[in-house]
Amino acid sequence: PTIPPTTSEPTLDISEMTGVHIDPSRAPVAFGRLAIPELFAQLVEPDAARRLRALASLCDLTHDPERLYQVVSEGFLDQLEVLLKDGDAAVRTRTCELLHLVTSHNIARQALLSSPLLARLSQLLDDPSPLCRTRAHRVMNSLALLPAGAKALQALVPKLMLKLQEEQEEKEEEVQALLLSTLSCCSRLDAAPALSHRGVTLIGRKLSHACSNIRREAAGAMMALSVIVIAMSQVCEAAVLPVLADLLRDQDVDVQANAAGAIMNTVVITTGKHQCLELDVLPVLLELLSQRKPDVEEEQRRKALVLYSLRALTSLAEAPEGRRRLLLQLPLLVGRSEPPEEDADIRRAARTAVNVVTWTP
Amino acid sequence: MSFVSRNQKGTNGTYTFSSRPRPVENRSKYREKAHSTYGNIMYDRRVIRGNTYAQRFLSTEDLAEMQRQQELRRRAIAQKNKTKEQLRSSTPEAVQGRKHNVVQTELYLEELSYNIELSHIECQTDPLLDRPATPLFIPAKSGKDVATQIEDGELFDFDREVQPLLEVLIGKTIEQSLLEVMEEEELACLRAQQRAFQELRNAELAEVQRLQEQERRHREEKERRIAQQREALRMEKETVEKIAARAYTQQYLADLVPTVFQSLRIHGFFYDPVEKDIETNFFPWLMAEVNSKLEKRNAARQLLDTLIHDVAQKKLPLYTNLETRPEK
Repeated sequence: PTIPPTTSEPTLDISEMTGVHIDPSRAPVAFGRLAIPELFAQLVEPDAARRLRALASLCDLTHDPERLYQVVSEGFLDQLEVLLKDGDAAVRTRTCELLHLVTSHNIARQALLSSPLLARLSQLLDDPSPLCRTRAHRVMNSLALLPAGAKALQALVPKLMLKLQEEQEEKEEEVQALLLSTLSCCSRLDAAPALSHRGVTLIGRKLSHACSNIRREAAGAMMALSVIVIAMSQVCEAAVLPVLADLLRDQDVDVQANAAGAIMNTVVITTGKHQCLELDVLPVLLELLSQRKPDVEEEQRRKALVLYSLRALTSLAEAPEGRRRLLLQLPLLVGRSEPPEEDADIRRAARTAVNVVTWTP
Repeated sequence: MSFVSRNQKGTNGTYTFSSRPRPVENRSKYREKAHSTYGNIMYDRRVIRGNTYAQRFLSTEDLAEMQRQQELRRRAIAQKNKTKEQLRSSTPEAVQGRKHNVVQTELYLEELSYNIELSHIECQTDPLLDRPATPLFIPAKSGKDVATQIEDGELFDFDREVQPLLEVLIGKTIEQSLLEVMEEEELACLRAQQRAFQELRNAELAEVQRLQEQERRHREEKERRIAQQREALRMEKETVEKIAARAYTQQYLADLVPTVFQSLRIHGFFYDPVEKDIETNFFPWLMAEVNSKLEKRNAARQLLDTLIHDVAQKKLPLYTNLETRPEK
């Protein structure tokens, strides 16, 4: 009898151990080198329950990097493609889980990106089973975090936008958050496809969602989109700025940071500047800047927020109205640019802000 | 007759039988004498004549014949029975108002019925009596008594022996969990790094955009100013040209009018109508009349000339004659 996988139920009764499967939901694992090939051989059996058990064992085994390497290097990943088309929803879900585990390693990610599994995965996004869809989204998300993955997923952006539109009827929060996160990763590489599919309007609607995860991801996506000039003008037209200004007063630091980032990108154009000044965003940003938390870790989390606020203020200072108001607040900015501020990036950003504010023609 | 048949086992164990053909004997019913005459198979009743491939069907005539015969037979038997019945004597019928009754006349009446009197008697042996328990067999004691017992700690020390097992089990478990935790930590670390990078990148990107925008604005402003300037220059130049042109034209056109009038006068555009009329109508007519008059005169003169010429011509020979004659 093999050493049972650690995630099984711990029945350490010797009499039960002999020859009987300890965990009925997992297939027995062969010893050493043969574990993976044997489990993959079980995956082509006609009985769905056995396939499920083999998949469960595989999920456990792939936590080990050695095994994962074996899986990838011996080319077993392609066999998973057949499973993704399987009739049984549980099998598909487990396969997605396996793929998700696999994407935590680089070789596996690269193998995935170059295999036809990606096309199959994108078909799974329309799967009838919600759990399967969630897992498929997770895999997509973890792939998108990689730049090469984001590039490969560019082709899928129209489909993802469509999904975003559909997801409005469903209340799957995790799926929406994952979807938005994937979109923001892809848009960081190239925001044009998402933009051309009405990205601004769709994501703008998500900004006021109840769940803070979704708000954060939506604000992040908006930030990624608004680096293109066209997007900036769309944002101004679509009246998204008031929503973003509201998000600045949100509870969650990440939501605030992303909203500040989106604003920072939008105020580069003149319309954005004027709208923001009308909306009275200036005091909010200044307040965010002046807050200092005692906890070092909190400060680190707020770093993004502070940086983005500084940049937004810099852009706003280019408008005469903004400059006038910021001149009054100059000490605050100078305070952030001096050595008491630990972070070099913040100091640099603050110095640029000060320069812009005190510029005269 | 000697048997000429043979049945023997064949070469591969099969049964074979062969016999010479022999004629059929005509056996009589009673075996009186052993005389065997050969019968004629043509008149042998055992031989089936005719088609042996299919069963011989009786012709319908024969069938009817057979049935009729059966009927006849049946009727004959019935008749026989009937006559037998009739022959038997029976008691006369009862008188009107009375009924015959069957009665037993023996000494002892007995009940006549079809039910047979039965009585059930059973007998069975006792079920198995309980077998008495076998008495405990205690064999007589023989030999020496020997006892043994394993005390605690004699075979092995559990705590010491279980150590390696425990180590392996716990070690594997902890190793696996450490692996997983490290994996997650590594991922979290990577993700944190990525996040930090992204934040910086976003901030710098915003800065870049801002500067780009600024640059664009400045450039556009510059271009606008340059265009404005160029426009102003152009306007100025145009004005100067206009002024120059105007001065020149004025000067040029100053004595245009008298020249024009003069030339017109020269070309005769200003005329006295009467004079013109006289010129146009009267003079030509006058000239024409004068011409015609002169023509007439001319014509007359020419006529005269021709007349004279003619006459002279005619007179010429005369005069020549006259000239010559006087000479004579």
